[in-house]
Amino acid sequence: MFAYYLTNAIRSMRRNPALTLLVVAAIAVGIAVSMTMLTVYYVMASNPIPRKSEQLFAVQLDSWNPLRPFDSDRPERPPHQMTWRDVNALLEAGYASRQAGMFEAELVITPQGENQLPFEVSARVTSSDFFPMFEPSFRYGGGWDRQADRVSAQVMVINRKINDRLFGGEDSVGRRVTVNGREFTITGVMDQWEPMPRFYDVIEGGLDEVSEVFVPLSLTPRMKFNSAGSDWGWKPEPIRSFEDWLNSEAVWLQFWAELPTPEDKAAYQAHIDAYVMEQKKLGRFERPLNNQLHDVMEWMAYHEIVQKDVRVLVGLGFLFLVVCLLSSVSLLLTKFEGRSGEMSLRRALGANKTQVISQNLIEVAVIGTCGGAIGITLTWASLNALGAAITRAPQALFEIDTTMIVTAIAVSVCTSLLAGIYPAVKTCAIAPAQQLKTQ
Amino acid sequence: METGPIVRALLHHKTGTFLVALQIAVSLAIIVNAMFIINARIEKMNRPTGMDVANLIAISIRSTGDDSDGLADIRRDLDFLRYHPDVDQATVINHFPLSGSGSGTGLRTLPDENVTPTSTARYQLDEYGLETLGANLVRGRNFRPEEVQMRSPGDEPQTAEVVIVTQALGDELFPQQDPLGNVVYWGNMEPATIIGIVDHMQGSWVNWDGLDRNLFHARVSAQNFVRYLVRSRPGRRDALIPVLESELFKLNRNRVIREVSAHEDIVARSYELDRAMTNILIAVIILLVGLTALVITGLASYFVSQRTKQIGIRRALGATRMDILRYFLVENWLITTLGAIGGCLLTVGVGYWLETSFDLPRLDWRYLGASILVLWVVSQFAAYWPARRATNIAPAVATRSV
Repeated sequence: MFAYYLTNAIRSMRRNPALTLLVVAAIAVGIAVSMTMLTVYYVMASNPIPRKSEQLFAVQLDSWNPLRPFDSDRPERPPHQMTWRDVNALLEAGYASRQAGMFEAELVITPQGENQLPFEVSARVTSSDFFPMFEPSFRYGGGWDRQADRVSAQVMVINRKINDRLFGGEDSVGRRVTVNGREFTITGVMDQWEPMPRFYDVIEGGLDEVSEVFVPLSLTPRMKFNSAGSDWGWKPEPIRSFEDWLNSEAVWLQFWAELPTPEDKAAYQAHIDAYVMEQKKLGRFERPLNNQLHDVMEWMAYHEIVQKDVRVLVGLGFLFLVVCLLSSVSLLLTKFEGRSGEMSLRRALGANKTQVISQNLIEVAVIGTCGGAIGITLTWASLNALGAAITRAPQALFEIDTTMIVTAIAVSVCTSLLAGIYPAVKTCAIAPAQQLKTQ
Repeated sequence: METGPIVRALLHHKTGTFLVALQIAVSLAIIVNAMFIINARIEKMNRPTGMDVANLIAISIRSTGDDSDGLADIRRDLDFLRYHPDVDQATVINHFPLSGSGSGTGLRTLPDENVTPTSTARYQLDEYGLETLGANLVRGRNFRPEEVQMRSPGDEPQTAEVVIVTQALGDELFPQQDPLGNVVYWGNMEPATIIGIVDHMQGSWVNWDGLDRNLFHARVSAQNFVRYLVRSRPGRRDALIPVLESELFKLNRNRVIREVSAHEDIVARSYELDRAMTNILIAVIILLVGLTALVITGLASYFVSQRTKQIGIRRALGATRMDILRYFLVENWLITTLGAIGGCLLTVGVGYWLETSFDLPRLDWRYLGASILVLWVVSQFAAYWPARRATNIAPAVATRSV
């Protein structure tokens, strides 16, 4: 019976190819537009580290100008970054099981061998705890240990791309690389690791790529690593040397603490508050006590990682889907009305209402499946096109994963059902003889 | 006029009519709001820069060791750049305007900590800087060569004593007075005299509302990073870029030439998201209008074929081809207008949502008018072809099929 309905459905579709194609196209375009927008939104709003996002906290201390807040539009907000002095004080105090201070830098690698030109890499200058805290995947080796932090060892982690470039992709753990004129030893090679958004540093919007290499924060004074990220200052301080810069009140480092339980968080908050009270005695931190801890998702919301534009597009995308849905309903209604003669005839010959309706529903299902399949293909194509147009964002932003494919299938099934059920049922609500009479 | 029968006929197809009208209404809401956003973005991207962006080349270099003599390198590079026949002028600069990377500072009009400073982007360049940028110094004077501070790492900090400001910054600092000749104070309360006014130039951050507030002072600072801005002779830019890249490297192989690129490309990168938004919305509008037109054509064709007999009878009773054509076009116009009326309400709703949730400016009503006009024209065109076919139905059809 099903096969018969299917043949009937296909015959009916071929009778009105233009209308059928139009319905398929409407469903396909509707799904493509709405799913493209939704995918970008989904990636931006996704939890980049689901297992630990509630245990990792961005730490803020309000070390800003006593005369005015860091953000005059939102005076309750402390600076989003920290001074070098405070980062080091907190690292040394060790109030949390794991802590990492960090900033972005640009370093120069000089490859060995003649005719090899030095090249620049993006670097995250950070603490050894970065690796166990944020859990990047390693291809070879791993991060450096705390001992390396303590002695400011010249060690580094490189990513796969740099490993391919320098060592042809082989296990390079223990090999040496010249960075800013000094010899560094490789402790690990990272595998593909593209958290999206790049949650550990979202100061510039969180769409940036993960750095190519990682080096110890404690090397900063000796190697004079300059921040390639943003720095903010409020206090007029004469900066003669790199040491002056490190001792200044400028905020330019991010700081994270791993606090597994609410008790840990409360204890940590008390510790940093006590630290600031202590500093107040030294004449620093003249603003009211305002130290804040935000976990990963709170921190993403704080920085409005999902951009307004993307939310507007998701809204418009779904309105677009509504238009496509309405088109499909009216086209299918028309199409089925055109067949009322045939349906009356079948009813008169003994088919019951359910049978006629299921005949229509199968036709709708075929149309919906075609529309959905084309729609998902178009989604994939338009995401690729977006990825090519927006070079500033990592390609992970435009990748469709299993969840989104399942969502897309669900959306297309719902769309075609919504589009098809009403026309399929409505047009069957005719008396068997009604349409025959006029013939 | 035959609107009476048309309305009555439409009332027979309530659901179908309603659906098409609703589709037009939602389309209108999307189109109006999308056009509004598109227009705002295009205006944003087309703001005058106040610079000769088309001929500028941005060069960014970094030395690899910490033993190089920065100032000597810069002097030699600038000599090479300025004497190159295809180069109009060149300068060293701390950041490229419109690149998203910049340096900001706060200036006060009184040496008092309690005065809220006016924030501005700060550019340090040499006496050829403004000429290289193509910035228009309308009043006052340029920097003199002896005013350019030559600085190496470790030098005693020193603020500039003379500055040039854009008109926008001058107006912000001194709303009631002439900024030229006035004194401003740096963060450490050291004074600086405004010696010149640039009528207009854009700064570093395209999304900042202080984009037009910019400050220039004369300084060449030798650091690991050095940036040059080169103004090429008209039309020579693209040929010059690879030449400069290789020649600068030859001048000192102990450094990384990070970037030699058209300033235009850097500016385009800053507006990449705005451009993407514009293109996406244009694509959405095209798809929407196309879909609506196709649906109208499809439905109208169907109605024509359904009413073949009716049309035949009307023709047999004396209706002209024109009457038949008019019937379908008026019918279509009625549906579109019904949709447009509903669409106005929806548009306001969507506009309100955008305005309140995303701080978008309030919708401009002209967009609504323009969009309704577009929909009328498109839907009339879409209905025209099926209606034309209807006029070709012979009166004899009426008799034949009975």
